[in-house]
Amino acid sequence: MQPDGSLEVENTVRGVLRDVLGLSAERVAEFREDTPLFGALPELDSLAVAGVLTELEDRLGILIEDDEVDGEMLESFGALARFAAAKALG
Amino acid sequence: MIDSYDWAGGREAMMRFGPDTGPVVVAALPLFEEANRTRSFVVTILRLLAARGIAGALPDLPGQGESMLPTHRTSLLKMQDAFNFACDTFDRDGRACYALGIRSGALLDTLAPVAGRWHFAPMLGEKLLRELKRTAIAADPQRTDLDAPILGGDTPIEIAGNLLSPALLAELPTARPAPHARIVRLVTDSADAVLKVEGSPLWRRAEPDNDPALATLLADDIAAWIRACAS
Repeated sequence: MQPDGSLEVENTVRGVLRDVLGLSAERVAEFREDTPLFGALPELDSLAVAGVLTELEDRLGILIEDDEVDGEMLESFGALARFAAAKALG
Repeated sequence: MIDSYDWAGGREAMMRFGPDTGPVVVAALPLFEEANRTRSFVVTILRLLAARGIAGALPDLPGQGESMLPTHRTSLLKMQDAFNFACDTFDRDGRACYALGIRSGALLDTLAPVAGRWHFAPMLGEKLLRELKRTAIAADPQRTDLDAPILGGDTPIEIAGNLLSPALLAELPTARPAPHARIVRLVTDSADAVLKVEGSPLWRRAEPDNDPALATLLADDIAAWIRACAS
């Protein structure tokens, strides 16, 4: 299933964070645009970041180059969702 | 029951489940860390198959589990060869073997003349190599020793605390699952599959986990597929 809208991409990002980091569905449902991620979620260490990116690739059918990955895109839930939507929706 | 089998490089342990007659599902765990994350899940599937009257086996492949061969000395070819020998122990008794491969485990049944292959979330070796490089760089952003020419050497390559085989890493770019397998994936996976199932990707979890509901669904699918193959 290829998400065809940004809300779908956002939900895909929530699902990835839930499944890769082992967070509860309730917890990821509360994530807002400005919810801080990297440095704020103890589950999201640098190895988990690799898993999150790879799982996003599988679910959205996209390819993320390592030089596209920076601190900014992982700063908040909104930033990660925007990055994913730009990749998936073009 | 814990059994064993012999291959060209020695003897390895093999867990066996279910009846002593009829078809056997021989399972291959994914490579590297994902083997630990999926082992109890695969054992659950094999136990559920046994409860459905279908035998199962989970061989330790060279460099995996209790194998005497160090992880960094194995290769895809050795693992594929050993998988073939594991199947052979059943083949000799006239029992049909079916391969079960999960994730990169789907790369390990290519040499075995099995009656059918069932793959859950299979992947190309190339993709696995990309994931490994990403993990290595996440652990150490200064890392530059993972490029192709170096992978052919003899020195074990350390990624996130594990010593990996340079021979195996060099084989990954061209490794792909055998064609004509029955491919099942999670509903969240965008790649093609004949069946998509609800569940979570246990191979991503840092802590090993299990998913009995998903295991039941997959065991039902495998049992129905084997009945269809045999008829």
